[in-house]
Amino acid sequence: MNSAVELLGLQELFRMTKRQILYQVLNFGMIVSSALMIWKGLMVVTGSESPIVVVLSGSMEPAFHRGDLLFLTNFREDPIKVGDIVVFKVEGRDIPIVHRVLKLHEKEDGSVKILTKGDNNSVDDRGLYAPGQLWLQKKDIVGRARGFVPYVGIVTILMNDYPKFKYAVLGCLGIFVLVHRE
Amino acid sequence: MAKEKGELKEGEKGGDEKLEAKDDVKIDKWDGTALKNALDDKVRKIFTEKYKYVECHKLMDIRLTICVTAVSAAMFALVYDYLNPFPASKFVLITCVLTYFALMGVLTLYTTFIEKGIFLVAKHTDPIGMDPTKVFTVTSVLKRFDDNYHLSIEYNDGKPGSKTIEASFTKSVANWFDENGVLTDRFENDVNALHNQLESGKKTN
Repeated sequence: MNSAVELLGLQELFRMTKRQILYQVLNFGMIVSSALMIWKGLMVVTGSESPIVVVLSGSMEPAFHRGDLLFLTNFREDPIKVGDIVVFKVEGRDIPIVHRVLKLHEKEDGSVKILTKGDNNSVDDRGLYAPGQLWLQKKDIVGRARGFVPYVGIVTILMNDYPKFKYAVLGCLGIFVLVHRE
Repeated sequence: MAKEKGELKEGEKGGDEKLEAKDDVKIDKWDGTALKNALDDKVRKIFTEKYKYVECHKLMDIRLTICVTAVSAAMFALVYDYLNPFPASKFVLITCVLTYFALMGVLTLYTTFIEKGIFLVAKHTDPIGMDPTKVFTVTSVLKRFDDNYHLSIEYNDGKPGSKTIEASFTKSVANWFDENGVLTDRFENDVNALHNQLESGKKTN
């Protein structure tokens, strides 16, 4: 029993004063907050609600492979054109999709209707959209791809495929930061 | 955590461990930060428990306030963005992000220029109220991958016009920890010597 406590370094935790424990918790909070604030900052700068995404499927090969990391922007003054690669959300699906714009209709009032297709798919995306949905609208678009880093996101895919692995890694890191004094 | 505490007590009751005094500090002797923390905590203990000085938490409290504010800003951004999804929350997000990074900058400046490694400010108020309050300011340095612990104590006896005097030592941590990583009394003796040197120094001045 004692050795378990020693192994985790908890005996050091018992010796700490209230202020030290509070600082320890805040330290952990600041690590999480820094990551969060960088992400939110990127959101504001790029105008996209998810400025970095990982390609999860092979439907855009050979342009993008599974695990590629994409940088997105979504500026109002920068309209989407046919041939752009966009990331969009579909109601009822948790994960956004990365596909190329195939058809685009613009109306005088500024609204757009977009049809997409994966480069590696034989048909367009109407089958992927929500039932009855024929076109994407501006609000469905998360952003357009502006740059990519190949294969960096493979870790994300692993974590996505094995959720237990993800929780194990996050849990271990969390405990390590909380228990070990700076 | 409460459960772990219970486990520790069970282990102690088992009595199969070596007899160790309850407040013996045992650490991983290869872990530099653990060494420094153990020594710093011990100095704090000597000053507050042996000499009965009162610890002044002001420095630490300011640091904690900065941290709490920063983390709150981040949490507020998270909640606000969740309630009002992104394009609507843009200006709140900008404000929170800027506040957060500004506070991180303030925190860095604060720890490097104001705190400067001070981990203890202990005050001794004369019970009769005749002498002014004496202030001990304690700083320590243990460089990474280095075994030399530098402890420095600044002392001001609070009398008008009296100068702050300083005493310090630099010694290898191997002097104070035994093979198993248990902190020995030798460290307390060294700290006492430093403390007494300062107090007597006051008399000769």
